[in-house]
Amino acid sequence: MDAFFASVEQNDNPELRNKPVAVGGGGDRGVVAAASYEARKFGVRSAMPSKIAKKRCPSLIFVRGRHERYKEVSNQIMSVFFEFTDLVEPLSIDEAFLDVTHNKKNLPSATLIAREIKARIKEVTGLTASAGISVNKFLAKIASDYRKPDGLFVITPEEVNDFIENLNIDKFFGVGKVTADKMHRLGIFKGRDLKTRSLPELIRLFGKAGAYYFQIVRGIDNRPVNPNRIRKSVGTEHTFLKDLAEKSEIIKDMEHTAKDLLKRIERSGFRGRTLTLKVKYSNFEQVTRSKTIVQEIDHYDLIMNMALDLLNQIDLKISIRLIGLSVSNHIDDSEPLQLTFDF
Amino acid sequence: MQMKFVVSSTELLSHLQAISRVISNKNTLPILDNFLFELKNDELVATASDLESTLITTIPLDSSVGEGVIAFPAKILTDTLKEFPEQPLTFDIDLTSLAVKITSENGVFSIVGQNGEDFPKLPQREESGIVDITVDSDVLLTGVNKTLFATADDELRPVMNGIFIELGNNDLTFVASDAHKLVRYKRLDGRSEVESSFILPKKPASLLRNILPKEENPVKVEFDDKNAFFTLSNYKLICRLVEGNYPSYNSVIPKNNPNVLTIDRVELYNTLKRVSVFSNPASNLIKFELKTNELVVSAQDIDFSISARERLQCEYEGQELEIGFKSVFLLEILSNISSANVMVELSDPTRAGIFLPYDNENADEDVLMLLMPMMINA
Repeated sequence: MDAFFASVEQNDNPELRNKPVAVGGGGDRGVVAAASYEARKFGVRSAMPSKIAKKRCPSLIFVRGRHERYKEVSNQIMSVFFEFTDLVEPLSIDEAFLDVTHNKKNLPSATLIAREIKARIKEVTGLTASAGISVNKFLAKIASDYRKPDGLFVITPEEVNDFIENLNIDKFFGVGKVTADKMHRLGIFKGRDLKTRSLPELIRLFGKAGAYYFQIVRGIDNRPVNPNRIRKSVGTEHTFLKDLAEKSEIIKDMEHTAKDLLKRIERSGFRGRTLTLKVKYSNFEQVTRSKTIVQEIDHYDLIMNMALDLLNQIDLKISIRLIGLSVSNHIDDSEPLQLTFDF
Repeated sequence: MQMKFVVSSTELLSHLQAISRVISNKNTLPILDNFLFELKNDELVATASDLESTLITTIPLDSSVGEGVIAFPAKILTDTLKEFPEQPLTFDIDLTSLAVKITSENGVFSIVGQNGEDFPKLPQREESGIVDITVDSDVLLTGVNKTLFATADDELRPVMNGIFIELGNNDLTFVASDAHKLVRYKRLDGRSEVESSFILPKKPASLLRNILPKEENPVKVEFDDKNAFFTLSNYKLICRLVEGNYPSYNSVIPKNNPNVLTIDRVELYNTLKRVSVFSNPASNLIKFELKTNELVVSAQDIDFSISARERLQCEYEGQELEIGFKSVFLLEILSNISSANVMVELSDPTRAGIFLPYDNENADEDVLMLLMPMMINA
């Protein structure tokens, strides 16, 4: 979806249409969660502190996020996908991979399917989407980002090599900012630069990810579209109204965060064994601490006990602006069960 | 105000290293990164504490002048002492400026201490309700050694995170369990006039394990509702106890166990070591298949298409049985039993297995270990 949260707001409220809109808190401590295309022209980006966004675009209109509504629209979009295929792997609230090798409408080409899906989404939600079509997930994802907004881009098998060789390294799906910077320092700017590096070299430089980069730069990505992708973690985070330095105040807020986490665990049915506490300092640096236990993390007292333990391991010399709690390390239901005494 | 003492470098180091194990690297009070030195009546008493546990030792001196207390940065002192060959060291301490000068054969080392009065006060014995026994140091050491591995790391039930020590008129019992495994170590040669019990947390238990091997005399153990005091010849350990009731462990020991396996302990241990390499790393499940005088131990990891199977000679009487266990737990149990052969009593695949030494040499010792199985087809 194009500028998803912002587009939903503009669609639901005609007064916002064609205006620079940012979803997120407009206050001093707010952060932009999404920016409309009108706002992006001014250089407003998501994850940007609202203060800076306002400076770049004084006429920027801030709208509070309505996640329930986005989830609702997301569900509408996902059901459109299922009209075409059952092999749908959601990537985020507004993106998914679709394997259309076989499609329910017997359309002869992926391009036709993409056109129809875009039209159906427009019809059902009033929003525009961008589609990318290619031979695997890696290339399809890149193609979908290539002609935003309202785009449709195809990378045919014949074009794959040229396309990747000329692609800037920071546009590679799976290469984030940190990796891109590292590659730049190594003189890797485009796909063709990456291609000159050997597999052992990439593994030495980037570990396991190095093997992945070696494959994708050759257009190879055999990962299937997995409709049952297992959720890897559940988490939540809270930014305080003002930076907190007092441990007792932090703990008070942590109680809310823990309750919220529990709600999310219950809603998602996620069963995990590792709790991670994230702390972001007032200077935006962050640290995380984790703890793994034998049993499932599934109630409030347990979360709080573990979280307090983790908090004690964190240096609180600088005041902090945000804490987050998440549960990961998924418990597989097919794992043999260790029995316990009935004390 | 001055005080001064001369002490052997290696003597000082060995005492300080022993008590330094108390010092936590997650201290809440900076003063606890120090040893407390108290010089009185020609004796040097050094103390280290993490508030929960405190270790105190008396160090013999070559000579001394004056009296007083000072807190001394622990790490810098032990790090320096480690590098000295045996020699007398002279400590000159100015109790007003807290300046400390250590003179060795070849040099001078200057440190600044902290005010000894800032060191937290030690808990005192309560006037009433104190229980007081004397235990053979070897009994105490073995009791801790046999049970410590089975204690839990349970956020919600702190009582499980310690060793339950139960004093009876005819025996002394050590129990530990993490709800998957349980050890009950009973000594018939330890007893008390008063029946009583306390829960010793993991950390002081492991501190005891460290200082007891050198102890030759019986250990005086005193405890009240809150604290326990262990007095050894050269050391004293004071620790806060875990409050709460220990679960009634006897009720989880299965009564009727018609299936009995007797097997060479080391052979089984080595087999498990090999076979468990092939188990799923998340579950560590290994399977026992039992029939008359035969045990098959197997494991598999479906994700990597690997499996292993070994057949072992044994004595087995009972019905044919398949039961799963977590290999890491089994290995821990087998390595904490000392007899040549081990006896395993089983009832069914969902109930705990009882592990017993087969030919126990010590008649005063009664060891019982329990392990809950894993469900094979969960």
